[in-house]
Amino acid sequence: MTEEDVPAVRTGEVWKVFEQEAEEVKAVQGVSIKIERGEFTALAGPSGSGKTTLLNLIGGLTRPTRGRVWVAGHDLTEMSNIQLARLRLEQVGFVFQAYNLLPVLTAMENAEFPLLLQGVEDAERHERVKELFERTGLSGLEDRRPGKLSGGQQQRVAVVRAVVARPALVLADEPTANLDSRSSEALLDMMLELNRELGTTFVFATHDARVMERSRRLVSLVDGSIVADESRES
Amino acid sequence: MSKRFHVVSRLAVRNLRRNLRRSVLTSLAMIIGGTLLMMSLPLGDGTHEAWIESAVRMGGGHVTIQSPEFRSSRKIDDRLPADVRVASRTALSRAGIAERVLIATPQLTLGGLASSAAGARPAQIVGVDPASEARFTILDEKVTEGRYLEPEDRLAAYVGAGLVESLELKVGSRFVVTTQDAEGEIAGQLLRVVGVFRSGVPEIDESLIHIPLETAGEWLHSGDDVTNIAILVRQSGQVEGLRRDLGRELAGPIEVGAATVMGWREAMPALDAAVRIDDFGNYLFQGILFTIIGLGIVNTVLMSVLHRYREFGVLQALGLTPSQTGTLVLIEGLILTALSGVVGIALGLFITFYFWGDGLDISGMWDEEWSFSGVVMEPVIVPYFRVARVIQALAFMFAIGVLASLYPAYRATRIDVAEAMKFER
Ligand SMILES: Nc1ncnc2c1ncn2[C@@H]1O[C@H](COP(=O)(O)OP(=O)(O)O)[C@@H](O)[C@H]1O
Ligand SMILES: [Mg+2]
Repeated sequence: MTEEDVPAVRTGEVWKVFEQEAEEVKAVQGVSIKIERGEFTALAGPSGSGKTTLLNLIGGLTRPTRGRVWVAGHDLTEMSNIQLARLRLEQVGFVFQAYNLLPVLTAMENAEFPLLLQGVEDAERHERVKELFERTGLSGLEDRRPGKLSGGQQQRVAVVRAVVARPALVLADEPTANLDSRSSEALLDMMLELNRELGTTFVFATHDARVMERSRRLVSLVDGSIVADESRES
Repeated sequence: MSKRFHVVSRLAVRNLRRNLRRSVLTSLAMIIGGTLLMMSLPLGDGTHEAWIESAVRMGGGHVTIQSPEFRSSRKIDDRLPADVRVASRTALSRAGIAERVLIATPQLTLGGLASSAAGARPAQIVGVDPASEARFTILDEKVTEGRYLEPEDRLAAYVGAGLVESLELKVGSRFVVTTQDAEGEIAGQLLRVVGVFRSGVPEIDESLIHIPLETAGEWLHSGDDVTNIAILVRQSGQVEGLRRDLGRELAGPIEVGAATVMGWREAMPALDAAVRIDDFGNYLFQGILFTIIGLGIVNTVLMSVLHRYREFGVLQALGLTPSQTGTLVLIEGLILTALSGVVGIALGLFITFYFWGDGLDISGMWDEEWSFSGVVMEPVIVPYFRVARVIQALAFMFAIGVLASLYPAYRATRIDVAEAMKFER
């Protein structure tokens, strides 16, 4: 299976420069990084160091000013907006800091949304979501609307939604930033478990020490450039 | 694709339900608009039907066959040649035409002078076949004294009340009518008043006289010749088609200038203009009404888009394309507008035809009888149903919905996901 050989993400000298009131903000400056399948990587760095921008570049939400981005071997810079949407649907899961869920859908409906968009049959969809809900301790909350879930529960549903379609990678932008420490730990445990058992690739942006501690690879950004890249066994 | 459309539609419905009060209020505007539309269109059409009906039944019919010169000359010289009469009778009895014709009646219509001891007045004298004219005209119902013409009548006249007054006549009085006869001589004829009518239209009441066609033929040496054949159709919508079909049947005489087939619009341009102006007024009113409703909808839909920036961001991060995001907004807008419009149209039709199907009495709105362009305003409006109007209204509602949702939908397609998902702390 050649697909397994290509890295989940690769960027080549990728730049993002924002024009702001005649001033240039270099949010990402020539980042080259390779993330293999199954990695659990944290992008760390102070606020404004370019973590979010880099994640958005990788997820195809922002187009680079220069350089290239490949996800599962596909060159994002050559894709149309429609192709990018399709790539996100099939290859990328997102978890944002908060307000991830669609308020009008139940937890179950939120979690199965990507499968619904992919046209997966009812039975299979329900089975897959149910299985993940059980695994992540969300059983019994299927029919709740996001407004009736705690912040931690909402983030778990968001993580289930991000992994349910078995994407090449999951991008999580400060997923624990709005959670108390217990919920943060629980969420982290859950993602680690999913990473271990399903082999889902996770890439975080974070400045949460707990997340950095428990990641297996820590990439440090300062002013849009990588200043350190350490791998370790936890 | 249809699967995805289904997902998007479900989301749209849920979003509308979430803001139930806002959705209901917006829908209500469209429902009321649709109801008003479906009340005003059939009532407007019904009013026009009544105008047309009364005008054509006091004159030359929905469609009339005559010689081309007669229209302006109004002279006996320009009567229909005998062979054209025969051809007309054949055409009118032909399958495909006969079904649409309610009645066709011959008329010999002439300008002349009516005089009595009290003076002389210009008059419009119409020689009619009493039996068929009684079924054609509504003037027989407007009788105030005496009776309408009967088949055995000779030298009898059915006269407008205004003319009766100015000539100081009454039922049984004698008076003289004068006009040019078929040989070009001036000929007079003594007539006896058998009935008096008041139509409410001054021009008619002050000049119109019906006499038996036989009397006219003897007086003017024109035999049973006529100047025109007046035709009533079953539904006014059939006028154009019948005019065209008769034109085809009578192509020979028409080509040599011996006949022409005219619809009421051509024969009564003032009435045609009145109908069009009234329609235009209605359209203008509806246009303003729906512009206001439409702007209200743009506002609500747009507000909901701007409030849900982050939601649209999530949707696009999940893999919805910009155009699918726009579709979501469009569907929401269309449900709010088109669907409510349909409900409004149904409601309007129901109210109009269930409550006013037999006529809406508006006589309280004016005191005196009034008329224009040879038409008497009826105090009771009977709504007139046309499928075309329903389709027109549906299309109109749909267009309003699309127009009102298009800009918000466009805004939704233009969302910058990275911007929408930004957290400022
Ligand atoms: N849309 C934008 N327009 C202008 N500047 C931006 C925009 N997005 C981010 N930036 C700037 O780029 C830099 C990096 O931002 P970001 O990627 O959000 O950093 P982080 O996520 O590490 O806090 C910051 O200086 C920020 O102000
Ligand atoms: Mg950030």
